Amino acid sequence: MSTLMVNAPPADSRTAASPAPAAPPRRLAVLPTLALLAGAVYCLLPVMWVVVASTKSGAELFATSTFVPSTALFDNVSELSAYRDGVFWKWMLNSALYAGGGALASALVSGLTGYTLAKFRFPGRSVIFNIMLAGVLVPQIVLAIPQYLLLARVELTNTYLAVLLPSILSPYGIYLARIFAAAAVPDTLIEAARTDGAGELRIAGSIAARLMLPGLVTIFLLQFVGIWNNFLLPFIMISDDEKFPLTVGLYTLLNQGATLPALYTLVITGSLLSIVPLIVLFLYLQRYWRADLLSGAVKA
Amino acid sequence: MRTARGRRAAIPYAFLSPAIVLFVLFLLLPIGYTAYLSLRKVQVSGLGLGAGARREVFAGLENYRVAVGDSDLWWGMVRVLVYGGILLPAMLGLALLFALLLDARRVGARRFSRLAIFLPYAVPGVIATLLWGFLYLPQVSPFQRALRELGVGTVDLMGPTTIYGALVNIALWGGVGFNMIVIYTTLRAIPAELYESARIDGASETQIALRIKIPLVTPAIILTSVFSIIATLQVFSEPTTLSPLTNSIPSDFTPLMKIYRDAFARNDIYSAAASSIVVAALTLTVSFGLLWVLQKRAFGQER
Amino acid sequence: MTRKLAATAALMLGAALVGGCTDDDGGDGDGPVELTFWSWVPNIELAVDAWNAANPDIQVTVSEQAAGDDLVTLVITAAGADEAPDLVQVEYQALPTLVSNDVLADISEYASGVSDEFAEGLWQQVTLGTDAVYAIPQDSGPMMFYYRADIFEELSLTPPATWEEFAETARTVREERPESYLMTFSATDPGWFAGLSQQAGASWWNVSGDAWNVSINDPATLRVAEYWQGLVDQDLVDDQPMYTPEWNAALNDGTQIGWVSAVWGPGVLAGNAADTAGRWRMAPLPQWSEGEHVTGNWGGSSTGVTTDSEHVEAATEFAIWLNTSPEAIEILVREGGLYPAATSGQTGPALAEPPAFFSEQTDFYELASEIADTAAGFTWGPNVNVTYDAYRDAFGAAITDGTPFTDAVNQMHQTTVEDMQRQGFTVTG
Repeated sequence: MSTLMVNAPPADSRTAASPAPAAPPRRLAVLPTLALLAGAVYCLLPVMWVVVASTKSGAELFATSTFVPSTALFDNVSELSAYRDGVFWKWMLNSALYAGGGALASALVSGLTGYTLAKFRFPGRSVIFNIMLAGVLVPQIVLAIPQYLLLARVELTNTYLAVLLPSILSPYGIYLARIFAAAAVPDTLIEAARTDGAGELRIAGSIAARLMLPGLVTIFLLQFVGIWNNFLLPFIMISDDEKFPLTVGLYTLLNQGATLPALYTLVITGSLLSIVPLIVLFLYLQRYWRADLLSGAVKA
Repeated sequence: MRTARGRRAAIPYAFLSPAIVLFVLFLLLPIGYTAYLSLRKVQVSGLGLGAGARREVFAGLENYRVAVGDSDLWWGMVRVLVYGGILLPAMLGLALLFALLLDARRVGARRFSRLAIFLPYAVPGVIATLLWGFLYLPQVSPFQRALRELGVGTVDLMGPTTIYGALVNIALWGGVGFNMIVIYTTLRAIPAELYESARIDGASETQIALRIKIPLVTPAIILTSVFSIIATLQVFSEPTTLSPLTNSIPSDFTPLMKIYRDAFARNDIYSAAASSIVVAALTLTVSFGLLWVLQKRAFGQER
Repeated sequence: MTRKLAATAALMLGAALVGGCTDDDGGDGDGPVELTFWSWVPNIELAVDAWNAANPDIQVTVSEQAAGDDLVTLVITAAGADEAPDLVQVEYQALPTLVSNDVLADISEYASGVSDEFAEGLWQQVTLGTDAVYAIPQDSGPMMFYYRADIFEELSLTPPATWEEFAETARTVREERPESYLMTFSATDPGWFAGLSQQAGASWWNVSGDAWNVSINDPATLRVAEYWQGLVDQDLVDDQPMYTPEWNAALNDGTQIGWVSAVWGPGVLAGNAADTAGRWRMAPLPQWSEGEHVTGNWGGSSTGVTTDSEHVEAATEFAIWLNTSPEAIEILVREGGLYPAATSGQTGPALAEPPAFFSEQTDFYELASEIADTAAGFTWGPNVNVTYDAYRDAFGAAITDGTPFTDAVNQMHQTTVEDMQRQGFTVTG
C-alpha cells in the first residue's frame, strides 16, 4: 500500500515546493544537527580530497599529502585535454551518449511495461513480472561474455549499440514503473478514455505517460547513473578507444602495466571532471525526486 | 483473433513485447548460453600450440563437480556474508537515521546535508575505491599522517581483517545516500496530521519517529534492504580495484571475483560458467524469498 | 510515448544495419588495406602516423588499451568471436597462451628473413622454439638495479655485487635510516619474480617431444623465494606491493631507496618521482656468485598478427617496419620509453644519450646493452596467466599469514600443473 516514493496520501499538508518541514524551527536541536553534519562531512571528505588532489602537479601529488591545495589544476586539465588529442572529452561525450540514450530507451520500455503490468489483467501477468524481476539477480559478470559472443554473431561488438542495447532492460525500472503506474494512473480515467473511444496506444502514450512522467524521469535518472558508472559491459564490448566511456578510458590511464607509471594526476583530474556532469544532473534529480514525483502522486 | 475482443486481448502482450524481446535477447539467451558453456570444456591435444590444437568438447557435469567441490568458492561466500553482515545493518541503519533527522523538526543544515550525503552516489565504484585507497595508504593518507603526528602511529587499514572494514566503508559511503533518499521521500509523503495529534499529546520527536514514522516507512525499508542485499551479494568492483594495493585480497576473494578471474585471467569460461550458475542459483533462492515477501507487501492492495 | 518508442526502435534498427554494413576490415576493393592495432605503448600512434604517411596503401589504426593480462583476455575473447584486430601488442610470456588459443598467425612466410635483426634468445621467444614465427620482437626488459646515489653516498654504501651483499646493504639501510627500506618484495608483480628466477637459472617450462615439462618449484626458484623470505622476515625489505600510490610516495620521500627493476625503469621513476631526477643510478643486478654476469627479463613485448586478419602479409610488413626500421625505433625509444629488441636499434642514435632522468650516468645505455647480453633464456608455458595469478594469491597469503614462501612456490607449481592437466595438456615433471 505505502510504496516507494509514490504514496497516495489524501493530502500533503507540506507543499512540495518547500523542502523543509512546514513548522518553523524554534530552537535548533544541537545533537541531531551535529549527527547529520557528521554524516555530511564523512561523505564530502573524499570528494574534497579529489578536488584538492586535482590541483596538484604529478610531483606534488606524492610529495605533499595534506588537504592543502596547490595551483596546478589548470595545468592538469589542459594536460588531460591534450592527452592523445583530447580523447578524454570524447570519452565524456561517449559516456553521455551511452547513459543518455540507454536511460531514455530504458525509461520508455520500463514505463510501457510497468503500465501494462499494472493496468491490464491478462494470463501470464504475474509470471512475466516475476521472471523479469528475477533478472535483477543475475550478475552482469555472468552475462557479459555470453552477451559479447552473441552480439559478435550479428557483428555488433565494438559499436555504440553493443553498450546501448543490453542497458535498456532494467528489472528495477520495470518494478518502479509498475508501482508508479498503479499509484498514479487511476483505473477510472482509463475506463473513461476507453468509453470515449480512445485507442489503447493513445491512452498509454498520452494519458498514462503524462501521469507517469515523474516516475519515468526517476527511472531515467537511475538508469543514467547506472550506465554512466558501468565499467564491465563497455570494457568487454568496446575495443576502439575512441568509443570508450569515461570509466574504461580512465581505467586504461591507470592500468599502464609494469613498464609505465600510472597516470595518477590525469586519472584524478579525470575523475573529478567525470563526477561534475552527474552532480549537475543530481541538482535536477533532487528537484524531480521531491516536487514532481509528489505532485504526480497528489494529482492521482 | 480477428474480432475486436481478440485484438484487445492481444494489446497487453503487444505492449510487453519490447521488454520481452530485450529480456530474451540480453538475459535469457546469454543465460542459456552460459548453461551450455558450463557443460563444455576445452580439450588440448599435444603441446597445444598452433591451429586446431584445442577443441571444445562435452564435459558433462565435470565443471559443476569442480565448482561445488572448490572450497575457495565457499570461502568466498563466507567472506561475502561477513562483509554483508557488517555492511547492511550499518548502511540501512544510518540511512534510516539520516532520513529521520532530515524529516525531524529543529534540525539544521538539512538541505546541505541531504546533498552532501547523496553526493557519493554519483561517484562510480571504481573511482570511489581509488579515492579511498589513497585515504587508506599510510604514506599518502592525510588521516594516517594526522594519526602519526598525534603519536598514535600508522594503522594498517588493509590488513587481513581490517580489509573488511575498508571495503564496508567504501560501500557504506557510496550507498547510504541513495537509501536515505528513498526512505526520506517516503517519509515526506506521510501526511503531517498523522503525527500532529501525537505532538499535541506531548510525544517527543524520538517517540514519534519510533512509534509512527518507522512503522509507516517499513515498506520502503524492506525495498531498500532487498536491493542492498542483492547489490551486496554481487560485490565485485570495490575489492577488485583495491586488490593491487594490498596483499589481503586474493583473486577469489568473493565468488564473483573468482568467476571473473576464471573467465578473464585464466581464460576458462567453462568452469566460470558452471560457478556462475551455482552462484546465481544460490542468489536466486536467497533473494527470491525476500522479493516474494516484498512483493506481497508492495502489491498486497492491488488485486 | 509509443510513437517515440517506435521511432527509437526504428532508429536503432537502422543504426544496427548501418553498423553491420560498415563494420568491415577494408581493402575489399581498390581502397587501401586497413589494419587495426591494439597496443598500450604510449605515443605509439606517432610511429603509426609516420607509417601511414609513407604507405598510403596500408593504413593502420591504433587503439590504445589497458596493458598486460587484460589485453590478453580481451584478444582471446575477441578472437573467439572472429573479431580480433589485425595486429596486437603481446608480452613474451603471453605468446604461448595466445598461440595455444589460435589467436596468432604463423607469419614465418613473410618474416623469417628478419631473424638476423634480433638476438637469438629474443627470436626464440617469438618462435617458441618451432619453425613458425608468431610475432616480431619489439622491446626487451633485462633486469638491473636502481638506487638513490645520494643516499647511498650518505650511508657510504656501494651498489651490491652479489645478493649476499644486497642483504647486507639492506641491513645497513635499516640500521642507519630506520624509516627507509632498500626495496620492497611485491606479491603483486609476478613478472618481477619470474625475472629474478630466470637469473637464478630457473626453467619453469620446457618441451620434450609432445609433452610439457613443468617445474616451477625447481631449486633455483625455491632459492629465490627463500632468499626474499629471509629479507622479509628480518624486516630488511618492505613487503607491500609496488605500483601503488604508497610506493610512489616512498620513492619520492626516500623511504624506498632502491629498486630491482628492468631497463625501462627510468620511465617509471620519472613518472612517479619526478623530483628525484638525477639522484638515481643504475647498476647490474646483484649476482648469486661473485664474478658471474647473469640477468633475467622482466617485461618486453612483441607485435603479433592475428589469425582473424585478412591481410597477414600487409600486417607483417608493418610489424617488421615498426620494430626494425631506424625511424620507428627512434620514435618508440624517445616517445614510448622502450628498449628496442632489434640489435641495430640498441646502438642507434636514439640510445646515444642516457635517459633524461639519468642524465648524470652518461654510459647508461652502454651498460644496459652489456647487461642485456647476459640475459638468461627462458621458455614460457601455455598458461602463464594462471601461474601469474597463482603467484599473486599465494605470495599475498604467505605475507599476510606468515607462511613459508617456498609453500607459495609449490602452490604456483601445483595450480599451474592442475590447470594444464585439466585442459588436456600432456604434462611431465
